Amino acid sequence: MAGALTVCRKELADHLGSRRYVVLFALILLLSTLSAYQGTEYIKNNPNAGFMAIFSGARFGFSFTYLMVFFGPIIGLALGFDAVNKERTSGTLSVLLCQPIFRDSVINGKFMGGTAALSLLAASTIGIMCGVAMPILGFGPGFEDALRIVLFALLTIVYLTFWLALGLLFSTVTKKTSTSILLSISTWLFCSIVISIIAALVANYAVPIQMPSGPFNPGAQGTQEYRELMQRRTTIQMNIQRISPAYLYNEAGSSILGTMGGSFGFGELGRGTPFQRLELTQALATRWPQILAIVVGMVVCFAATYMLFLRMEIRPEG
Amino acid sequence: MIETRELSKYYGEIKAVDRLNLTVYEGEIFGLLGPNGSGKTTTFITLMGLTVPTSGTATIGGYDIVKDSRKVRKIASMLPEGAGYYEDLTAEQNLNYICQLNDIPKPERERTIKDLLEAVGLADNAKMKVEKFSRGMRQRLGIAEVLIKKPRVALFDEPTIGLDPQGTKEIRDMMFRLNKEQGLTVLLSSHLLYEVQQTCQRVGIIRKGRLIAADTIGNLSKKLSKWKVTLELELAGAGPDLIREIKGINDVMSVDQEGSKIFVHMESDRTREVSEAVIKHGATILLMRPKEHSLDEIFMEYMKEGDQ
Repeated sequence: MAGALTVCRKELADHLGSRRYVVLFALILLLSTLSAYQGTEYIKNNPNAGFMAIFSGARFGFSFTYLMVFFGPIIGLALGFDAVNKERTSGTLSVLLCQPIFRDSVINGKFMGGTAALSLLAASTIGIMCGVAMPILGFGPGFEDALRIVLFALLTIVYLTFWLALGLLFSTVTKKTSTSILLSISTWLFCSIVISIIAALVANYAVPIQMPSGPFNPGAQGTQEYRELMQRRTTIQMNIQRISPAYLYNEAGSSILGTMGGSFGFGELGRGTPFQRLELTQALATRWPQILAIVVGMVVCFAATYMLFLRMEIRPEG
Repeated sequence: MIETRELSKYYGEIKAVDRLNLTVYEGEIFGLLGPNGSGKTTTFITLMGLTVPTSGTATIGGYDIVKDSRKVRKIASMLPEGAGYYEDLTAEQNLNYICQLNDIPKPERERTIKDLLEAVGLADNAKMKVEKFSRGMRQRLGIAEVLIKKPRVALFDEPTIGLDPQGTKEIRDMMFRLNKEQGLTVLLSSHLLYEVQQTCQRVGIIRKGRLIAADTIGNLSKKLSKWKVTLELELAGAGPDLIREIKGINDVMSVDQEGSKIFVHMESDRTREVSEAVIKHGATILLMRPKEHSLDEIFMEYMKEGDQ
């Protein structure tokens, strides 16, 4: 364990000092603060909206959830994609493993270091958002809202850790960082953009809706039949998008926050979805499969990395 | 100190290390000599637990390399070929990381690092980033890293590869000093015969994963030499008649001519008869001396034998 902590400390120090981390952190912080500020504007104009609306600047373009849906994968993957193979090719891994530590200390330490860096990013961003909003609004979150924020922060950390674990897996499977970075970028594009396009296409194909020819007929859209078709379409689309952990996070995150949540991908951008604020317990009860799926995904990725790393042959030449 | 029994590592059909039986005694410098791809590096990484042997066993200081791998790594160090460092850290920071991994308590760390940097001659570069280091400096930093844990055995994989003569000499002197002053057992691998000859007390010759000989250089030479005595000659005014005459002398097995030099291989010492023949033919002796077998020849000869 001592070995793992040493590796963890070094990894964390490396992350915090790395340009990659600092740039992403700054970007997220800037955008989040902006969205929180926009949220306060919204709250001022809508006295009914609660404190949580600072996380859903969605009406103005983006919310914190949306930022995490879109940038979350890249943050997690960026901290993981070269963690193992870079050390392998540079020859530091063989030096490291000649030291009297257990081999799993190295991979555990790397995971712990990355998780610490991500936790810091998520927690401080959410904290700063609240800190920006409170003086402007003149009131803070109540007890339930505070609890929601804490749970949401935890969910965000787990979600980011999932991407970190996937990045670590990529860096263990591949020998070159150029391969793992390609894998990372394509996964990111697939999970945050491509999947929503595919879902829309499939839904369109599976449930064709014939548009009445001729001039626009509002009556046709109001029929029971039309509504049912639209409903089926949405269900298909949603279920396909659930392949992406980013979508699962979006669902779970907005329910926990009790906000309308962000839009997902391009398919839904700007389209208002009917919204009903759930009680916290209710939210957790309905969204536990999503939360569980993210946790299981993370555990599976890390377990696979762990197994592979322990069996790996470390040759000095990589 | 190091003992392998039928140690084998196969990669599919390829036998990288094949039933290797190697013994390295405490306090000696042992050289593992072999061409590229003969299994030196695989042997080293198997000993250090970076990969698992296919079959066979090995111990270092009495610890099994598979079951007690961590204990092995407590008493044994390795400098891998092309060892890497954290480029954006300074020499000091690199050593500090290794110190931490070796559980060296904080108060001792600073001293240990300072002493080691001094010992390898990098005291002035302690605060320099490793990315600016030359090859020789890197290798010296590697030796410092090896010594952090105060090992009883050190494995050096091709320690002087790519270094200039000055750097090579420094590394070699360092190994001698450690061996003498601290009783460090050294196992080094090389494909450079000269280096092994200069550094090692005993030599093992490895070929296609098999150890084909292990002994002192003197003994290896004796075992091998087909000819008891070889005479090296350099003559002025030697004609074919003379060569024919030398060949006719009793016990002379063969005569080789390489440029201006003539090598006479004999079953027993016939130096007297050879010099008489030279004088009889009116040639002048420029050089005449008995020749020892260099490691080069031994090595080539063993390689040839292995092929048969």
